[in-house]
Amino acid sequence: MPTLTINGRSMSVDAANDTPLLWAIREQLQMTGTKFGCGAGLCGACTVHVNGEAVRSCQTMVGDVAGKKITTIEGLSAKGDHPLQKAWIAEQVPQCGYCQSGQIMQAASLLAKNANPTKEEVVAHMDGNLCRCMTYSRIQKAIMRAATEMRTASAAGNERRPT
Amino acid sequence: MNQHVKNITLETTDLSRRSFLVGTAAAGLVLGYAGVPGVGEAFAAAPANFEPSVWYSISPEGLVTVTCGKADMGQHIASTMAQIVCEELGAKWSDMRVNLASNDPKFNDPVLGAQITGGSWSTMMNFEAMSRAGAAGRIALTEGAAAAMGLPPYFKDELVVRDSTVTHPKSKKSMSFADIVKSGKATKTFTPDELKAIKLKTPDQYTMIGVSVPQIDIPSKTNGTAKYGIDVMLPGMVYGAIVTPPVRFGATVKSVDDSAAKSVPGFIKAVILDDKTQTTSGWVVAVAGTYANAKKAAQALKIAYDGGPNAALSSQSLLDEAKRLQGLDDSGQFFVKDGDPAAALGTAAKVLEAEYTTSINIHAPMEPMNATAEFKGDILHIYSGNQFATRSGAIAAGAAGIDPKFVVMHQMWLGGGFGRRLDADMMVPAVQAAKAVGKPVKVIYTRENDMTMDFSRPLTYQKVKAGVDGDGKLVAISHDVVSAWPTARWGIPDFLTPSVDKKGPLDSFTVNGSDFFYTVPNHHVRAIKNEMAHNATPSGQLRSVAPGWTFWAVESMIDEIAVATGKDPAQFRISLLDGAGKNDGGAQRLRNTLLAAMGLSGYGTRQLPKGEGMGVACVSSQERATASWTACVAHVAVAPTGAVTVKKLTVATDVGTQVHPDNIRAQVEGAALWGLSLAMYEKATLKNGGIEQTNFDSYTPLRMSQMPEVAVAVIANGEKATGVGEPAVTVVAPAIGNAIFNASGARVRALPITAEAVKGAMKA
Repeated sequence: MPTLTINGRSMSVDAANDTPLLWAIREQLQMTGTKFGCGAGLCGACTVHVNGEAVRSCQTMVGDVAGKKITTIEGLSAKGDHPLQKAWIAEQVPQCGYCQSGQIMQAASLLAKNANPTKEEVVAHMDGNLCRCMTYSRIQKAIMRAATEMRTASAAGNERRPT
Repeated sequence: MNQHVKNITLETTDLSRRSFLVGTAAAGLVLGYAGVPGVGEAFAAAPANFEPSVWYSISPEGLVTVTCGKADMGQHIASTMAQIVCEELGAKWSDMRVNLASNDPKFNDPVLGAQITGGSWSTMMNFEAMSRAGAAGRIALTEGAAAAMGLPPYFKDELVVRDSTVTHPKSKKSMSFADIVKSGKATKTFTPDELKAIKLKTPDQYTMIGVSVPQIDIPSKTNGTAKYGIDVMLPGMVYGAIVTPPVRFGATVKSVDDSAAKSVPGFIKAVILDDKTQTTSGWVVAVAGTYANAKKAAQALKIAYDGGPNAALSSQSLLDEAKRLQGLDDSGQFFVKDGDPAAALGTAAKVLEAEYTTSINIHAPMEPMNATAEFKGDILHIYSGNQFATRSGAIAAGAAGIDPKFVVMHQMWLGGGFGRRLDADMMVPAVQAAKAVGKPVKVIYTRENDMTMDFSRPLTYQKVKAGVDGDGKLVAISHDVVSAWPTARWGIPDFLTPSVDKKGPLDSFTVNGSDFFYTVPNHHVRAIKNEMAHNATPSGQLRSVAPGWTFWAVESMIDEIAVATGKDPAQFRISLLDGAGKNDGGAQRLRNTLLAAMGLSGYGTRQLPKGEGMGVACVSSQERATASWTACVAHVAVAPTGAVTVKKLTVATDVGTQVHPDNIRAQVEGAALWGLSLAMYEKATLKNGGIEQTNFDSYTPLRMSQMPEVAVAVIANGEKATGVGEPAVTVVAPAIGNAIFNASGARVRALPITAEAVKGAMKA
């Protein structure tokens, strides 16, 4: 029975090693924020982080992530207040909302590495995530807003730090 | 809405037989229409649960929970209903909550008399009912507060209601809604006449309508907590994966060999569907303890099929049949029959003739189809996001072999609808599997199931002939529309329209839009059912439905006529929108949106580089009686290879009254991008009776990198609120086609537009 480290907790799942991580998360752990969209790595709805990298959980087998640090939308922030989540609300991004967990997780992996992305970098990073409601322009705006907030917060943090 | 779509037979909507209830109960203040005795039983939940219906309740804590009878698929209609109630009630926005209705008929649409979400009808048809419900609550709370404050009743006009508080400024007394509910003094009831007599706010008094309040559902859609149908978990639940035949419709299962499936852990059973509702054909569902194992078991089944009567058909067969039918003089029925186009074409100085086609298109909402079914005692519970609870409940009942009154539909947030979830196919395998294994079953389609078994936008073929007289005046249009008939498939006569030539009902949801607001003295429209396509590719209502293809033909042809007569296409449209006769009112509003879009885009104000062009289109989608007046200017660049880049879409839309300006912009932009996606990127094809595209590698909706700049102008001129979810879908393709012509001289008449077609048309 594989043991997964998800959102900082260690959990054992009753699933064969060749079970897609997506279904273990949703059914075994009953964390349903991660969505099934295509089962083929083509839409991004199932995006989670494995050791900080955005991966498609429908293409990631349980047996391959044992011992690795997995983060889902439920674990992105303690209170749903990651700068991206706040920006998603400020820009009123979601329509149906189904793809948005994946969009936010995909965007979070970009901002973790690059807090000052260009529009082109955002598009290149996000192009694998489909939104059938076509909320793309608001997704872009929200990512830019969150990036600004993260830079501001980090600059403020630097100022307060004693030298 | 078409004139005929009223009082559909499933339910009465006679408000005079209802009384409006206001009263404090243990649970708080409840307001709503009482159920009509005797009618409720037909579609009610468990009889034990039958109770007077409610649009909203106020808890002793002061929370106002609005129950939304509409499917929320991202248009934020639940939040919009709450906003309309909130305006008249005088509540604080942060006190508002929403709840999704069950299929109890007490939650039926007050105009349509059923639970159906589509047509961009919801705000338009519920605005008044929700306003009156809100106002009645305010009156009841005000009178209750006066009593609780010890003020004589005639003091009630001195009370001010704002932010969930009733205040009496003279005596400086005030009470919160919570305190009034707790006091038990809000007991007023309203007769239907009293309800009708309530004076609603005038727009200048609005404090909520027209404000972009935070949508109630959005926070839950940023942290994974919003529950969609696919997220339903029931105790003891098992999973079903379906195996669908290679033929879209008409195949039957000859045999199922489950010997290999038996070695899959947790495999329970393979169930061959016996679908008397004829929603599905030749489906098998593999049931197992987990979805991953259900899928493995499904893959391990060896199934032999009889392909049935449609197994040899292709898109070409459907198109050939459409052309054959159009060529027959006695095909179809008339939707519009003004004047005598044949005679006018006979004497016209110039006659133009063109064929326009659109491909099969797939809804592909991001949440694949799914449903969970549970039998509990006599009651069948269905958990699924659905747009047509009234009909879908009946389909689920049909699949179970029980009376519809024993079905309770639990509505969920919809992970995209776009018309796909008007259908109930996903409930059939869930119900029959749950029945077969004696446990709750959640059936989830793979994306491949979802695409190949879509109730698709049908392949369409249109032929348009237009006649111009010696003065260059458009005198005749003859327009034939050949397609499968999506709405006829429902089997509900009230959704069909009598034909003008009295040849029986036609499916106006295949021709809406062709009854445009241009003044054309001789105008015929024939609706022709392509029976072959109807049977082989059971079609559905895809966001915007008929106007998605009729305006492709009309707005392309209008451009062709302008070019042929040497006129500017925008000015030519303006001249045709003269508001004569039956077009008075609508034509002028449509003209104004066109002018707005022209102004915002800079149409005609500058010389564009070689290979670039702008094109215009304007539409009265969704239906003539429910139009939101919408115009688009598309700016494109066309490469010598025929490759088209859409640089910018400028959309202007007249929505009458804006409830939520930001949401309208979001909907219009999303709709316009749907229009672009359908115009350029989405194509499904039929081969050997089956849909060839199976996932997002072969069926390819617009991605972020393909998004052009989109500018939206919303005109709110104080007329009644109209719908915004769909109209902008329909205006984009013809605007792009017309822009391509202006950029390159290539006239394209088939959707989606391909570089090959553009290049081919350049040489002509």
